[in-house]
Amino acid sequence: MENSNILSILLFLPIVFAVIISFWPQKSTIKHLALGFSLIEFLASLTLLQRFDSSSAALQMTEKFSWIERFGISYFIGIDGISLMLILLTTFLTPIIILGAWKSIEERVKEFLICLFVLQTAMMGSFLAMDAILFYVFWELSLIPMYFIVGVWGGARRIYATLKFFIYTMAGSVLMLLAIIFIMRLTPEVTGGNISASLLDFYKLKIPFIAGDFFTAQTLLFFTFALAFAIKVPLFPVHTWLPDAHVEAPTPGSVVLAGVMLKMGTYCYLRWVIPLFPEASEHYAWIFIALGVIGIVYGALVAMIQPDIKKLVAYSSVSHMGYVILGIFVLNQYGVNGALYQMLNHGISTGALFLLIGMIYERTHSREIVKYGGLASVMPHYTIVFVIVTMSSIAVPMTNGFIGEFLILMGAFQYSIITAAAAVTGVVLGAAYMLWMVKRVFFGPKGEIVLASEKDKTHALHDLSKREWAVMIPMIVMIFWMGLFPNHFMNYAKTSVDHLLANKNNYTLEVK
Amino acid sequence: MNITVGITDILLTSPLIALFLFSLIPLTIKVLRGNKEQNPAATLTIALIGLSVAAGLMVIFAGSDKTAFNNQLLFDGLTLWASLIAIMAAAGGMVMMYENPSTMGKQFSELIFLAMSSVLGMIILVAAVNLLTVFIGLELMSLSLYLMIAMSNEQKLSKEAAIKYFVLGSFASAIFLYGVSFIFGSTGSVNITDFMQSAATLVKTSKLFLFGTVFIILGYCFKISIAPFHAWTPDVYQGAPTPITSFMATAVKVVSFAAFMRVIATQPLLGSQNLFDVMQWLAVITMTVGNVAAIMQSNLKRTLAYSSISHSGYLLVGVITAGISQNSAYSATSVLIYLFTYSLMTMGAFAIISLMEKSETTIINTDDLAGFSKNQPVLALGLSICLLSMAGLPPTLGFFGKFYLFSAAVSEGLIWLALWGVINSVISVYYYLRPIVVMYMRPGDADVANNSWHATTFLAVLLALLILVVGIFSGPLFEMIEKSLS
Repeated sequence: MENSNILSILLFLPIVFAVIISFWPQKSTIKHLALGFSLIEFLASLTLLQRFDSSSAALQMTEKFSWIERFGISYFIGIDGISLMLILLTTFLTPIIILGAWKSIEERVKEFLICLFVLQTAMMGSFLAMDAILFYVFWELSLIPMYFIVGVWGGARRIYATLKFFIYTMAGSVLMLLAIIFIMRLTPEVTGGNISASLLDFYKLKIPFIAGDFFTAQTLLFFTFALAFAIKVPLFPVHTWLPDAHVEAPTPGSVVLAGVMLKMGTYCYLRWVIPLFPEASEHYAWIFIALGVIGIVYGALVAMIQPDIKKLVAYSSVSHMGYVILGIFVLNQYGVNGALYQMLNHGISTGALFLLIGMIYERTHSREIVKYGGLASVMPHYTIVFVIVTMSSIAVPMTNGFIGEFLILMGAFQYSIITAAAAVTGVVLGAAYMLWMVKRVFFGPKGEIVLASEKDKTHALHDLSKREWAVMIPMIVMIFWMGLFPNHFMNYAKTSVDHLLANKNNYTLEVK
Repeated sequence: MNITVGITDILLTSPLIALFLFSLIPLTIKVLRGNKEQNPAATLTIALIGLSVAAGLMVIFAGSDKTAFNNQLLFDGLTLWASLIAIMAAAGGMVMMYENPSTMGKQFSELIFLAMSSVLGMIILVAAVNLLTVFIGLELMSLSLYLMIAMSNEQKLSKEAAIKYFVLGSFASAIFLYGVSFIFGSTGSVNITDFMQSAATLVKTSKLFLFGTVFIILGYCFKISIAPFHAWTPDVYQGAPTPITSFMATAVKVVSFAAFMRVIATQPLLGSQNLFDVMQWLAVITMTVGNVAAIMQSNLKRTLAYSSISHSGYLLVGVITAGISQNSAYSATSVLIYLFTYSLMTMGAFAIISLMEKSETTIINTDDLAGFSKNQPVLALGLSICLLSMAGLPPTLGFFGKFYLFSAAVSEGLIWLALWGVINSVISVYYYLRPIVVMYMRPGDADVANNSWHATTFLAVLLALLILVVGIFSGPLFEMIEKSLS
């Protein structure tokens, strides 16, 4: 199985699904069909685990052929420990999203599913691409379906939110395109005369760096790339599009956004920024650590005062992604491993929270915390699930969140105690806003929604349906599995992370 | 001077001759039938055959760097590709003319004749190396166009647009001619090939030559609507019947840019730093004016007019790059590819607008598109693809066009221009997305297009598919054009 095209198949299968769906005549079975497709994709992606050699830091299952020869652009994809888990996260979440959207997307179902599958290809492409232009194509392609998902199926202020999302992200990425072109112009040094867009050739370049001088090539390029990714993450202070997009997006949109899209930003720090600009990354790491810590605390504080559950979770995303950035830029093993783990955690736990919020919103059409209260008495199962997910989100031991945050904080301690101390306050604040929200929604005096439900038996709130259980059970299993047996997941990434940290200054990837 | 006309001259100019002959056929038939219009489908077919024959002859005979009629016309790679793109754009425009309410009907044969003569002028314009022949091409193209713009009977804006374009256009032509006289005064020649090598030194040593060059550049800047010579563009684009607008925005712009590039390729910019600076500023101003003004428009055609101005700005970056680089084939290729890209997406957008027009007086505002995606899913998707391509989003052709253009600019050290270009494409996203927002995200019941499939519908679908597919496979195209240019 040396020369299999498994990655290309995985990458373009969703596009094929999208095409089939667009010609599918029956409206009633289209969701079943899409669910089946996404499960096939997930099962196919599981074979990666078996093919993947976790003892090697090399780039595996690579495929490369020339695409635009004149500019040295090639179709070049491959997978290593850093991207493997994110690919699996993407394929894992897609069926859950489709199942979760069963009720919430009623109009234009076909178009929605097409957008979702195109988006899946675009996201997986950004994780797999090993060629700068190929990467850029997928990176920007992911904007278009997301733009439609938020804009067409979103809430009241959806148009504002989706335009803001689009323009913010694009503003960052066009500058990155210029930076990519600039770096491509430098590649003849290492390839012996030919221009190249291959990331592996980029790695070989030694882009000049002078500490303290801002206007040197490496520093400028570093900040251009870092800005593009920071907007996607989103890092404080360029995070403002996220709460808007999250609140206005339909439930499945929020789940994709929180679950996978934000990880595209953090993943690219590890794939692009640190190996390409090692000196600048080290020299200016403090800026990102500081912004990460500010993001953690600021996100938590703002989340605390939100009257809207979804907005609260959206700001908690800002806070959690702050941890990831912190973990990456402390540049030690604990930090980076923790950051990678936290990316998966955040995908699972925040994704699950958005799904749960979507379920209650479908029933009550309200997300305002004050209207709830005493929900536990009417929806006990829902409450149990919600509390479990909350525990994961606030990093209680035994849940996945704990492992990630713990490792990141360990890394931060190694870096500096002050940083760690500041970041730890985020843990406390995180517990505070989540638990306070849980208390106000599920316990305490009965709110108007619960009272109305008790009065009017015909419109009473019903507990989780079978479909909703089916959505949540995989999430809960993952929460505990990842919390109890972190090595099952971390082993895949370990070699790659070690390799990155050990050879940061002259990073290369072997091709296997 | 030895003035003889040989067989090579005839062969080289055979596309022009073919165009001329074919343009006469519909008119002759109409006269023979006693001034009764024949079936417009037949007229269109004849015209399209004529264009294909011209394109075929072009492919066979041009691209060999041969000159015809004693150095009057040069048939090199630039002529070949620019003519092919222009012929393609003209063919698209004619398909739209066939079905648009403003242009179909009693005078269709005359219209087609004018359009074909205009194409004839275009090929002369881009092939000519003698500045006076350039002028003939320019005028043949423009005079036909003035009449075509005024073609609509009921739409008053159309007459206004024609007069405006005529007066301002004549003024620009006069300035161009004035510049030619200066050049003649300083060098004793009006043939571009005579000062191919020496323009850089001539602009330094001779004030007269410098002035001549500046005037010629001004004449072109008017045609390609570079700010601040762009003021006519929105009015004319809006007022002209939509197929004519498409014709003008694509074919005319393509050849004007190609002819402009021929002048700039003599590298006067290398000789005069001031001229170089001014050109860069013109590019910056054009991009900005086009994009910022487009944001404020509510009329769809007017939005596209300003968008076309901003695309001129991007293209000017490419032209400047071609004018200063040692390996100008590479930059010229990126300009040609972008012109091709620009033609496809502009034609696609105008084709869909043309389909929406039910009568001569229809005015389509962006807000009228509400609900378009429900009533016309195919057209809505097509328009979205064209707009996203104009915004330069991958994987559309628009992205690859911009990539080639800006990567040429970066390689010549024009990083600030490229930076300004990409910043502008972010600004442009706002107004390119707005029609999409209205089509897909606003409730409404757009009653702006009829449901049956027309030739124009096929054209629009074909263009949208090309925009999606050609970009991904644009590498070989780039190499092919570059090879024929160098």
